[in-house]
Amino acid sequence: MIITLRDVNKTYPGVVPLHVLKDINLDIERGELVSIMGASGSGKSTLLNILGILDNYDSGDYHLDGVEIRNLSENRAAELRNRMIGFVFQSFNLINYKNALENVALPLYYQGIGRKRRNILAMEQLERLGLADRATHLPGELSGGQKQRVAIARAIVTNPSIILADEPTGALDSHTSKEVMQIFRQLNNDGMTIVIVTHDPGVGAATDRIIRIVDGEIMNSNV
Amino acid sequence: MFDLLSEIGQTLRNNKLRTGLTGLSVAWGIFMLIILLGAARGVTNSFEESMGSRPTNVISVWGGRTSMPYKGYKDGRWIELRESDAGAIKEDNPGTVSRVSPFASATANISSAKDAISGFEAVFPDALRSERLTMKYGRFINDLDISQARRVLVLRDEQAALLFDSDSVAVGKTVSAMGLAWTIVGVYTHRWNRSTYAPYSAYKAVTGNKTDAYQLDVTVEGLTDEASGEAAEDAIRTSLARQHEFDPDDSNAIWTWNRFNSYLRGKEGNRILSMAVWIIGLLTLLTGIVGVSNIMFVSVRERTHEIGIRRAIGAKPRSIVIQVITESIAVTALFGYIGVFMGFIVLQIINHLFGDMEGFKNPTVDLSMAIEVTVALIIAGAIAGLFPALKAIKVKPVEALSDE
Repeated sequence: MIITLRDVNKTYPGVVPLHVLKDINLDIERGELVSIMGASGSGKSTLLNILGILDNYDSGDYHLDGVEIRNLSENRAAELRNRMIGFVFQSFNLINYKNALENVALPLYYQGIGRKRRNILAMEQLERLGLADRATHLPGELSGGQKQRVAIARAIVTNPSIILADEPTGALDSHTSKEVMQIFRQLNNDGMTIVIVTHDPGVGAATDRIIRIVDGEIMNSNV
Repeated sequence: MFDLLSEIGQTLRNNKLRTGLTGLSVAWGIFMLIILLGAARGVTNSFEESMGSRPTNVISVWGGRTSMPYKGYKDGRWIELRESDAGAIKEDNPGTVSRVSPFASATANISSAKDAISGFEAVFPDALRSERLTMKYGRFINDLDISQARRVLVLRDEQAALLFDSDSVAVGKTVSAMGLAWTIVGVYTHRWNRSTYAPYSAYKAVTGNKTDAYQLDVTVEGLTDEASGEAAEDAIRTSLARQHEFDPDDSNAIWTWNRFNSYLRGKEGNRILSMAVWIIGLLTLLTGIVGVSNIMFVSVRERTHEIGIRRAIGAKPRSIVIQVITESIAVTALFGYIGVFMGFIVLQIINHLFGDMEGFKNPTVDLSMAIEVTVALIIAGAIAGLFPALKAIKVKPVEALSDE
């Protein structure tokens, strides 16, 4: 198992406390391509944030690739995110004044890898995604599909344990969406574990397993 | 480090206007600091030079008027110093007083065929040193002049030029004073002194053995601080009190000018001046710091989303703090040095225009000051960046990423 969640609860405090995740139990095996589907407000984004060590949970257990994720310091969390998780976002989240190559190389910068080696590794990933000729382009000069491919290159450049994608096709047209899903399928065939959060049934259908979340509870987990 | 700098270069280039406006306030602050420091240095230099033109271990003494009754004498008695006081002071203070030279003053007209000047000072050979005269032609009064009571005169170059066609031809010429012939033996030059000097013994001879001394220059050895300066002054006063029978505590009986202590006080004044300049300068710089700090807050706010991205892909809080603070230092230092450079140029111009002015000599800043300013700049930049940096790490990646 690369991801194990046991009875994970999360409540947002407030005048009316919001219990967003209720006793979540979830197992994801190495090499899986799964999707988490649910309506907005169902808690799927919160679940993704917890999986991505971007947010804390209140009770339960979360193990990621054998590491217990609990009460981590900001530094430790940053280190684990950098090493184990590759993020792909709906709005790409590229840094707009850095060119494609620099964006892809950025996670390696935070690993303390030297500039030359960074650029070689980043270039390899851009080539893998067919963007070698766009390396010096700024995000503003790229199409939506190209931007998402740069973001995917950035997610895989550190060779993480899993890729977490949050509505990766949400900002793309149907044709480009299909291309992006094909890339994920390709990466999965190469052995990468991928978790995609989406509300798009088409995207869900393109994965091996759909985890449905309704009102903070996992409904069923069928293959 | 290079990576960090190129990261910073990129963000600064990305915000040219903002960077420029912030930088302007820093550059202005530093510019003012440099100008103020330079001006203060000008005043200090001028003080050092005026002090340098006289030896600082000399205490001058003049006769005054008693203000206390003493040993049957009423108060209000004039004290007139004499040549013999010199020997008495020296005898009473064998360890500290190395030399006492009396000055007398004569009002005689000194005339050549061409023109006339009035008055001369009757002195001993060491007046050359205590008055810090620089000989231009000929020699100063020597021991032989004293022992033989020769009627010789030493003139200032300006006066010599007045009496003769040129100061270079004065030596060897004869002038008349008090109905007698005097020979010019030397011409000196000085910044402001214009006295004519004659041997004290010649003065005695021509005035019918007058031995008055309007001034005694006492050279004191081994002065270290203000207290030792005052002690020397008191010792001189005590000697003279015994000679002239006045109360040693009577501060009006004689007047003294302790050059050593005024030098110390002047130095203290200069220290306070330069401290005040630093304070004013740093306060001006503070305005710049607040500007940089403000702009770094804006920058952090604007880049919340970017910071969120960086955090998500593995930037530790520390690297965000370092980046913000280094960026702040880079802006402060870069524009600070522009200010330093402009300040140097303006000081050079001021120096060129007013550098010879009295009381404002060579107003420039030196290397050590440039280093001090650099340290001040780096500290200033770090302070300016600290609070925005701490705000930046409070940004939670989740919130920052949803901040579209």
